[in-house]
Amino acid sequence: MSTPARRRLMRDFKRLQEDPPTGVSGAPTDNNIMIWNAVIFGPHDTPFEDGTFKLTIEFTEEYPNKPPAVRFVSHMFHPNVYADGGICLDILQNRWSPTYDVSAILTSIQSLLSDPNPNSPANSMAAQLYKENRREYEKRVKACVEQSFID
Amino acid sequence: MSENSRMDENDNDKKEVSQEKMFTLKKWNAVAMWSWDVECDTCAICRVQVMDACLRCQAESKKDFYGKQDCVVVWGECNHSFHYCCMSLWVKQNNRCPLCQQEWSIQRMGK
Ligand SMILES: [Zn+2]
Ligand SMILES: [Zn+2]
Ligand SMILES: [Zn+2]
Repeated sequence: MSTPARRRLMRDFKRLQEDPPTGVSGAPTDNNIMIWNAVIFGPHDTPFEDGTFKLTIEFTEEYPNKPPAVRFVSHMFHPNVYADGGICLDILQNRWSPTYDVSAILTSIQSLLSDPNPNSPANSMAAQLYKENRREYEKRVKACVEQSFID
Repeated sequence: MSENSRMDENDNDKKEVSQEKMFTLKKWNAVAMWSWDVECDTCAICRVQVMDACLRCQAESKKDFYGKQDCVVVWGECNHSFHYCCMSLWVKQNNRCPLCQQEWSIQRMGK
């Protein structure tokens, strides 16, 4: 059975393979195109550099009219990532557009790693350190980077 | 002529050296947001050409043998075009053009 959402996701996957954005990758799980696994590589010249951060993306049949649920599986220390891995990013909530696809979602999250928004914190400790004690912030992030090699 | 060009090269060298000291690039983030070119007339919502039936109509066509469903194109005041099917679902939750965020109002419909 092929619904519009599934067909759209097949197109997303094809585009991701034909025109892969740098530093991100993603693919549907073997038995369910509605659930994807993705990896975002930490952007260069940020404390996240060299990290390989895993995420899951869960779509509903309302995609692309509704955004998918995206969360980090890897442990993250970032002002806009909740303790459970959920991501506070406007384009995944109220500024979602049905013209986005998986590539756009992953590259947006990647740029969130480079440019956190400490004014709408999901992790207040990370936001505070980011603003007030950058050295400690980077230390905590580097610990995540090292952990990302293991899990 | 060869002397002239050598002179120029020297000048350039000097300029480059002095420019190098003016600034160094410490951080460079290239962020690319991608969207279909509207000129190629692809519906940015379902990613099918607007002249073809949208993904929803394509998915339904198998069980629907009562003639082809008429999947028309809709143009907004902003000149962006989509399948009417795709756009009518979207405007139910947000009455803005998904490409330019302008208030959505229909300019014309058809093929
Ligand atoms: Zn469409
Ligand atoms: Zn249609
Ligand atoms: Zn528009």
